[in-house]
Amino acid sequence: MIWSNFILVLLTSSLLWLFALLLYKKEFLKRLFIILGTACIGAFIAFLWVKLERPPLRTLGETRLWYAFFLPAIGMITYLRWRFNWMLFYSLGLSLLFLGINYMHPENFSKTLMPALQSPWFVPHVVVYIFAYAFLAASSLVAVRGLYQHYYKTLDKKVMLMADNLVYLGFAFLSLGLLFGALWAKEAWGHYWTWDPKETWALITWLGYLIYIHRRYHMPTVFKSSLWILALAFVILLVCWFGVNYLPSAQFSVHTYSQAP
Amino acid sequence: MSIKKPIWQQPWGYAESFIISFGILSIGYGLEWMLPKTPSTLIFPINLILGSCFFILLILSHFLFRKTKTHAFLSSIPLTISLVSVLSILVIIMGILPQIPSPQNGLVQKLGLNQMTGSYPFLMINLLLLIVLGLVSLKKTFPFKLKNWGFVCSHWGLWIVIFAGGLGSGDLRRLKMDVFENKMEWRSYDDQNRFYEMPLAIKLKDFKIDEFNPKLAVVENESGELYEAQKPSMIMIEKGLACDLQSWKVEIEEFYVNSGRAGDRYYKLSDFGAAPAAKVQVVSSQNDTLRGWISCGSFNRPHESLKLDDNFSLVMTVPEPKRFSSDVTFITPDGKKRDEVLEVNKPVSVNGWKIYQLSYDDKMGRYSDKSILEVVRDPWQPYVYLGIFMMMIGAIYMFWKGREKINTDVS
Ligand code: HEM
Repeated sequence: MIWSNFILVLLTSSLLWLFALLLYKKEFLKRLFIILGTACIGAFIAFLWVKLERPPLRTLGETRLWYAFFLPAIGMITYLRWRFNWMLFYSLGLSLLFLGINYMHPENFSKTLMPALQSPWFVPHVVVYIFAYAFLAASSLVAVRGLYQHYYKTLDKKVMLMADNLVYLGFAFLSLGLLFGALWAKEAWGHYWTWDPKETWALITWLGYLIYIHRRYHMPTVFKSSLWILALAFVILLVCWFGVNYLPSAQFSVHTYSQAP
Repeated sequence: MSIKKPIWQQPWGYAESFIISFGILSIGYGLEWMLPKTPSTLIFPINLILGSCFFILLILSHFLFRKTKTHAFLSSIPLTISLVSVLSILVIIMGILPQIPSPQNGLVQKLGLNQMTGSYPFLMINLLLLIVLGLVSLKKTFPFKLKNWGFVCSHWGLWIVIFAGGLGSGDLRRLKMDVFENKMEWRSYDDQNRFYEMPLAIKLKDFKIDEFNPKLAVVENESGELYEAQKPSMIMIEKGLACDLQSWKVEIEEFYVNSGRAGDRYYKLSDFGAAPAAKVQVVSSQNDTLRGWISCGSFNRPHESLKLDDNFSLVMTVPEPKRFSSDVTFITPDGKKRDEVLEVNKPVSVNGWKIYQLSYDDKMGRYSDKSILEVVRDPWQPYVYLGIFMMMIGAIYMFWKGREKINTDVS
């Protein structure tokens, strides 16, 4: 029903972005097509929001949709600032990957939202996290590129500066996500932090990037180790995003998005 | 600077930091192994006294030893990184192993890996981090430079959060209260069902609950389990709904939120215990048509399903709550009365206690006359909030500023 329109979105965005790739030398058209493709996903999210009568932020599939929306948006922002074409198209590819996964695994889209999640904290908490993950994912791409350059040719200093900036932005969002979460939990359940597996993994991610920031501040001229820290931090990020539900500790997590019938 | 410095020669760097951090971790595990496990938490006033002593000692040692090499090491980034790495390892273990008490007595239990936050290694690493973070923050605060304000907010903020959150955890009281409609209640109970008298009484005037409509689902006759060959496996019932569910076409011909069975059909009814029911028409893939009533029942009415074939039945699920709230009156010892509505995510503060809507009698569903409340007292909360807000300012500063351009040329 609702989800059957999704294939249209997937096809439209893919096509628009394909045009953008083909016309990548034509600045104006490239930007236009990318923005239109992103807007399609945004429109679908809005449509879902209206149809479900709640913010579509509950199931993994729904959050993947936001991810697919913010990745190109952030790719575009970084492009405008740094002019890296590869960064732009990689973010589009990643976004299509997420849309593809969603197409293969349509999920149960019920309208119900449990009362504990009907809170004004809910949307900022999740949206801020999604921003953070998108920035940090982008920073890790830069790290991989940096490592490649480090081993095969000379490292471009601009790449390092860009990695740092993306981490600073992503880390700021991640901190806000954790802090919003703590405030919300305190207001809603009476405790800031319950060491729920999802929270625990978000903290590990935060600590990983904390190490990177301090290492960079301390040793601004040593690149290799920092780049490896950044690449490793991304692995943790992926565990946090996808893997938590499969860990033995996840049995009673309030953050696993499945429900008994 | 490519000549390697021999280890343990000043100034200490990464090698020394990691050795020290892991050394402390080992000592922590030694203690955990040998000492008996006493789940002791500091409570008022001991936590306040110890906390103040710690803080004063920290400030004194900062100003007395600020020129020494030990101070430089203790407030250095290498030590920070090694401690945060060790902490990450502990938290990763915590993120993998379920954190629940266990009657077994294997290696995991002996080392406290299943109750990490109360274990010696975890507490010792955190204490050391608190010292390091405190010394760095003091170093950067005195003398104060305006350009450091972002640093001051993030580091002091985190320090306050760990300090106040850690010390205050023993003073946190989280109790539950069961209140019944038109009855007065002043007792609360804890996890072990011990009762306490509260400095306030609560009278429940009315408990209200809104529900979502129930959903259609197909279950396997033999096991009673939800059949999920295709998604969505559950579809919310609405008047006039027509949908595909698994390999059947289902149409809702009649639907009542409150009803009761009389003879061969259900009628709209508003009795105590009246349950949702629907008349459905089902067409199978072989084009056989079936008609019948389904109901999820209630605490005093049976549920009814429709047998589709030998293997499957169509059922109505028990409705999920959309919103529930309690109309209550609080009565404090000074005789003051106050009317409030308690709802999930909307707690109310009375006399230093925060009162949360937690749950209700879920067997009775919307006919519950019992409301379960959570009452929380946390005198340290304002300080933790201060720390959290400082960290937020620090984060926004980071976002705004980004990484400042630094001179990365190797000189
Ligand atoms: C685990 C607790 C932490 C410790 C022990 C710690 C320690 C340190 C140390 C030793 C420095 C070097 C200061 C100097 O010598 O000038 C530093 C700098 C820095 N830290 Fe932390 N830090 C911690 C947490 C954080 C957090 C939570 C943030 C971010 C929100 C952060 C962001 C920074 C930044 C941005 C700098 C560079 C300061 C500047 O630009 O002047 N740190 N930290």
